[in-house]
Amino acid sequence: MTRQIGINQLKRRDFLKAGLVFGAGATGLAAGYAAVPDAFARAVYAAKREGLTNDNVLVMIQLAGGNDGLRTVVPLADPSLHDLRPKLSGPMVSQALPLNDQFGLNHNLGAIKGLWDKGKVAIVQGVGYPNPTFSHFESIRIWETGDPTRRQVDGWLGRTLASAYDSNGHPLTGCACGTTEVPGALRDLQATMTVIQDQKTFGFTGGSEVEAAVGALYKGTPGIYGALFDTAIATATETMATLRTSAASYQPMAGYTDKVQLVYSSKNQLAAALQLAAELIVTGTGVKLLHVTLGGFDTHYTELNRHDDLMGYLDSAVGAFYQDLAAHGMADKVLIATWSEFGRRPKENASGGTDHGAAAPLLLIGDPVKGGLYGESPSLTSLDATGNLKYAVDFRSVYQEILGGHLGADSSKILGASFDSVPFLKAPVSATV
Amino acid sequence: MRGGSALNWLMSLAPSPEKAASASVPVRRGITRRQALAAALATGVAVGAVRLLGGSMQSLARPRPSTGTDWISPLGSESARVMQLLRRTSFGYTPAQLESALSDGFSKTVDRLIETNPVEPAPFGAANTPGGRFAVGQLQQWWLDHVLTTPTPFAERMTLFWHGHFTSDYRKVADDTFMYWQNLTWRRMSMTNLRSMLMQVTTDPAMLRYLDLATSTGQSPNENYSRELMELFTMGPGNYTEDDVRHSAKALAGWQLPQPDSNATVTVATGVTRTLPVYSTQRPGVFNLRRAFKGSVTYLGKTGPLDTQGVVDRILAQPATAQFIAAQVAQHFVTAQPDAAYVRTLADAFRRSNYDMKALMRAVLASPEFSSAQTYRTLVKSPTDFMVHSARALGATNLSKLIAASGSGMGQSLFDPPDVSGWPNNESWISSNTVVERVNFVTAALGQVRSALPAASDASRQQLDGVLSPQTASLLNQAADDRARWFITLASPEFQLK
Repeated sequence: MTRQIGINQLKRRDFLKAGLVFGAGATGLAAGYAAVPDAFARAVYAAKREGLTNDNVLVMIQLAGGNDGLRTVVPLADPSLHDLRPKLSGPMVSQALPLNDQFGLNHNLGAIKGLWDKGKVAIVQGVGYPNPTFSHFESIRIWETGDPTRRQVDGWLGRTLASAYDSNGHPLTGCACGTTEVPGALRDLQATMTVIQDQKTFGFTGGSEVEAAVGALYKGTPGIYGALFDTAIATATETMATLRTSAASYQPMAGYTDKVQLVYSSKNQLAAALQLAAELIVTGTGVKLLHVTLGGFDTHYTELNRHDDLMGYLDSAVGAFYQDLAAHGMADKVLIATWSEFGRRPKENASGGTDHGAAAPLLLIGDPVKGGLYGESPSLTSLDATGNLKYAVDFRSVYQEILGGHLGADSSKILGASFDSVPFLKAPVSATV
Repeated sequence: MRGGSALNWLMSLAPSPEKAASASVPVRRGITRRQALAAALATGVAVGAVRLLGGSMQSLARPRPSTGTDWISPLGSESARVMQLLRRTSFGYTPAQLESALSDGFSKTVDRLIETNPVEPAPFGAANTPGGRFAVGQLQQWWLDHVLTTPTPFAERMTLFWHGHFTSDYRKVADDTFMYWQNLTWRRMSMTNLRSMLMQVTTDPAMLRYLDLATSTGQSPNENYSRELMELFTMGPGNYTEDDVRHSAKALAGWQLPQPDSNATVTVATGVTRTLPVYSTQRPGVFNLRRAFKGSVTYLGKTGPLDTQGVVDRILAQPATAQFIAAQVAQHFVTAQPDAAYVRTLADAFRRSNYDMKALMRAVLASPEFSSAQTYRTLVKSPTDFMVHSARALGATNLSKLIAASGSGMGQSLFDPPDVSGWPNNESWISSNTVVERVNFVTAALGQVRSALPAASDASRQQLDGVLSPQTASLLNQAADDRARWFITLASPEFQLK
């Protein structure tokens, strides 16, 4: 690893020597120009790494479309469930995997139930935010930015990258696996991250000469997208080099299987995405923040089988992922957390599905977790004016615990405020400044 | 890596030893200057020129830490305006298409784009397959074949715009015949009137399935279509209430899929048969009064009985609707972040015309903003835009299969949008994954072109306006042959923009 060099010791001619063609100076560089795989960026990175207290990793799993909380963590003992969901409630109650006499996990969450039994699953119930929106895209943005007032544009994990890690020149600090686009949660003007849809095909088909030519082509590109393009190419090139090494040293220690197109509206290659995440983690690439997505949760119709399939999908991928991490001796470093833009309406509709809802449970999985139920299960009889579940825990309380307790980041700086504590972690590390 | 090995690669692309040998001595020096002269003739500016990024740019497009320089706009010249017009409306151009538009000039070309009726694609052979159970790749290829060869590419660009706006995906629709019909419908309606379009969208069989209106009833309505009709299709969030969502869900209930012409029993797996619908002709959904809501609703401020046309009329009575559609169009055709006054001007024209799409598109294309220096290269080509334009530039019409297969790694697979908001655009198209896939497409396309490559001597002027970054200019200057020059042209950052 490059030794730390004081930023101020780097002279302008060093930048120029490193192939930079613009004259913005150190201020401009520090402001986020990230396509700089050179001494300057490494110095910045090294400087910021010095301030970190741990080498923990976070894996966020987005359940896109609005996951039905009542079918994920089932309120077994609530008689209102059947009245609200005559078509959907039957088997979901009788087959649920009981956590206690009140709640059970969806019957397809067997591997996660196994982890629960070992104290490695925390369930935070009734998570939401005030005055919920029922728009997918508005609510996704709220969860991604951590800002229900919708003023913030950067993602909460992007801000974490920019303030606590600074991925300049080290794109793999933040990585979205199994997608083509930077997820909103990771977006930040000051941070760079990698996006890899499929590691098997991630590379220049024209080989190293194309890679070199393109590297020369995308430098100092003018215009409003210039930095974005140059960063993307530099990021890709550096990531390819890292993957070449990591793929050679990684042996999966669990069976990852993807039944592609299992559920409509989603390509659902969650297992492949998590396997790539595992590779990046166990081969010591320095990855900190990972984001993967499982789609198809917008179950407006014939929800019964579709949602069960999605639960099974989540379960097998997460089960394999945990097993793989554990076998590589990395399970103590990694926190897995689910999120979804909202839950679903308690009352089912004519299509055998459910419309957009509000509060829902989140799952936090891994060795860092202090297993158990947290928060408060929303009442099925005291719904809000829109017929939806009332929230008990602000989602930013969960973020706060993740940021401060797991990553050792300054959560109040990143979230802009402090929230009630939800102590679902074993031994929170202290926040760094 | 860096310069030396890049040059090796460029030489290695040379097809014959003589050419490679000749390329190793810099006989092609001066390309930049020659092209600068050509560009100066065409556009009045010099190659490689860039200017400091001004404050006004920042307000027009998303602020982004940048290199501090911007492209110098060539749009003072009419030929550059015509080239930009075709890039933004027609998936680029072949040399012949460009020549014809240049001789017509900007205004006449706008007239032609707006007034020419869409040429229909050849009928899709597999449309009568029971249950629409054919591979979506076939459908993608059918559409792309048409896009690559049609004399009316603007109709295809508008069809793609509406495909992203009134979006549906083949996975949930689960009957590719409906997706085929939707493509035909969006093309036919693409430049008509928003009022009639919204009725067609509401009763489109793929849409009836995609947003669940086909299974909604007045008794127990499904809100999916009702919400997205307002949030994503017409008004945008913040212009209606949750009660409006619930009430229009009731008012819209009753539409069902059309009856098939026949049913066929098909073996779908070993020992498994299913009865699947067969449609011989395209038709819209049908209204079943028994499933409709009988009472009165309170919707967008008025109470009373309401049918689907009534819902559409009330949506069109909201000023937010013209604003929303105008903003969408401006973001796709003019600049990533259009300013409010510009959107208002477009929206006013749209509303005054009683929601005539021709009037809106004419207002957009003829607006000073469309051709202003401020909006030069402020749009990122979508993957389909980029790939089709590449094929046209190479004079290739045999790349539909490659294009259909290559879209997903760049984030755009036709008939398969990521979610109900369709495809994101502009900066969302740029990530470490997508840029690599774009380069890989160029590599593959150059390998698959059957005919001889067109001469590349004019490529940087014709395809890149002669406005090049120092890097692009320098690499073109070092290029050993036409193949290498085409690679650099199509893989360049300049070509990703429009």
